[in-house]
Amino acid sequence: MKKRLPAAILLLLVLGAALVLRVTPYDYAFQDRDAIMAPATALHSSGTDELGRDRTVRVAAALLIGLAGATAAAAITTAIAACFGLLAAFSPPSIAAMLMFLSDVFLSLPWFFLLMMARSLLPLTASPLVTAVVTFLVLAALGWPACARAIYRGATVLRSSEWMIQGYACGLKNRQLIRLHLVPHLRPLLMPQFLICVPAFIVAEANLGALGLGVGEPMPSWGAMLLELDNSALLARSSWVYLPIALLVVVLLILESFTAEVETNA
Amino acid sequence: MPVQVNSIRANESHVRLPMIIAARVGRTLLLMLFAAVGTILLVRFAPGFFSDLREMDARYAQAARAEIQSEDNPQETIVQVARHEFEGWIKGDFGESRQYHVPVAELIGARLKVSALLLAQGILRGWLLALCAALPVSGLRKGGYLWGAPFTLVLAIPTAAMATACILANAGGPILVLSLLIAAREFKFLRSLLAGAWRAPHLLQGRAQGLSPYALVRMHIAPNIVPQLCALTTLSIVTALGALVPIEAIFTVPGVGQLAWSAVINRDLPVLVAISLLMAFVVGLAGMLATRTLSLEAV
Repeated sequence: MKKRLPAAILLLLVLGAALVLRVTPYDYAFQDRDAIMAPATALHSSGTDELGRDRTVRVAAALLIGLAGATAAAAITTAIAACFGLLAAFSPPSIAAMLMFLSDVFLSLPWFFLLMMARSLLPLTASPLVTAVVTFLVLAALGWPACARAIYRGATVLRSSEWMIQGYACGLKNRQLIRLHLVPHLRPLLMPQFLICVPAFIVAEANLGALGLGVGEPMPSWGAMLLELDNSALLARSSWVYLPIALLVVVLLILESFTAEVETNA
Repeated sequence: MPVQVNSIRANESHVRLPMIIAARVGRTLLLMLFAAVGTILLVRFAPGFFSDLREMDARYAQAARAEIQSEDNPQETIVQVARHEFEGWIKGDFGESRQYHVPVAELIGARLKVSALLLAQGILRGWLLALCAALPVSGLRKGGYLWGAPFTLVLAIPTAAMATACILANAGGPILVLSLLIAAREFKFLRSLLAGAWRAPHLLQGRAQGLSPYALVRMHIAPNIVPQLCALTTLSIVTALGALVPIEAIFTVPGVGQLAWSAVINRDLPVLVAISLLMAFVVGLAGMLATRTLSLEAV
């Protein structure tokens, strides 16, 4: 019940953003040269940036890109973690130890540093779409180790449970046991991991973007929009510059509330 | 007879203790080695490793850009790159920075103290804030989430945005941002840890006997949660190390985080490998110290 209100707000935000993109005649990259750093007007409801691009359209696009990218990346990372954790749990101890050591190697470096390093390795001439896809893929590729450890622990406990032994005794194969029994039982563990990853990835993308390592211009992203806050001339002209960060905080609070709900239920 | 058993156990523990420590140190060193080799592989084979900012300059002709690319790409194999790196380690200077043309050890050495101080102060203040908030809130039956709301709000603000807000408001600094981040992360764990400790049956017994809250915390809660707190400290260190990069880059603090950011932007492999090693060492050491209490108790 508690989840319904934040879910409804998030849905409204997403629908609103989609509507803005549909209704507004401008593209997120369109530059209105006559309205550079303009305040809110009838033409540009929340003003424009230093290149004359409509802020409402860019914020709406950033919201959709950020949410879609982070959700996809979280789904991929959860799937990788599930495969890795299950593989380790159902392998001989030596292989399981090796796999867990591999996850420890990833965990031995702070995540953001690793992310920054991996993201910076793209050629400078990569297109904005490529940078967006790669940013979220890098997030997905590096986010799994902690999650895999949790799934490995959960799967190890489940593997030695009585009903699993019963399954073995009935002649079920590992594949059948995983599909029929283990995955449904691991769902309460996988769901929180997924929900934790979504806001974490949005924050990571914003931080990367603020350092100039996120999604490439002119594609809008939370990180690139945070960079606007560095422009004091823009800040002096309009308060709408704070719109992206305000919306980002709202979205993150909503996503955090989902995580808190799941944690409470667990 | 019990005396004999105790002495055998004591002897066994004396033998096992150095072995456990040796295994831990060996594991940490191995993790560092893998982290360094992984960094070399990742950076060397990345499509953008030999990118040069001049390639983006429209004033250069296509031929000149190709010339720049061939200049920057020394065609070294991975073995040669690794050999150069390891030679630098053996010499103790960690090679020469591609960007600044000075020994990496010199670059990092000068910045290490700044980052260490920032980390220490940030973590210490963050923990103090989290503990001061979590201790009274954990004892509450209702309204705990309301008290935790400010921390949830801080968690929802990206570090870079928090740092930019501090600069815009001309208030606070890198230590404040780091402390707030650590406090927000640890508050949630500390609250649930302490709430669990308050509900323990022996605490109820202590309350029934009229022990003061101070005595309960000092005698019952604190000793029981120390191992978990040690594990949380490791998490704090990892969180703080990760946050160091945006904080130092935005506040232009001349520390290791800013150097890492600059090395990443300029594809400075020797500096990146050295910083990876340093970070792996700090995380490994923190992990080793955090689990020390738990494992050595079992000896």
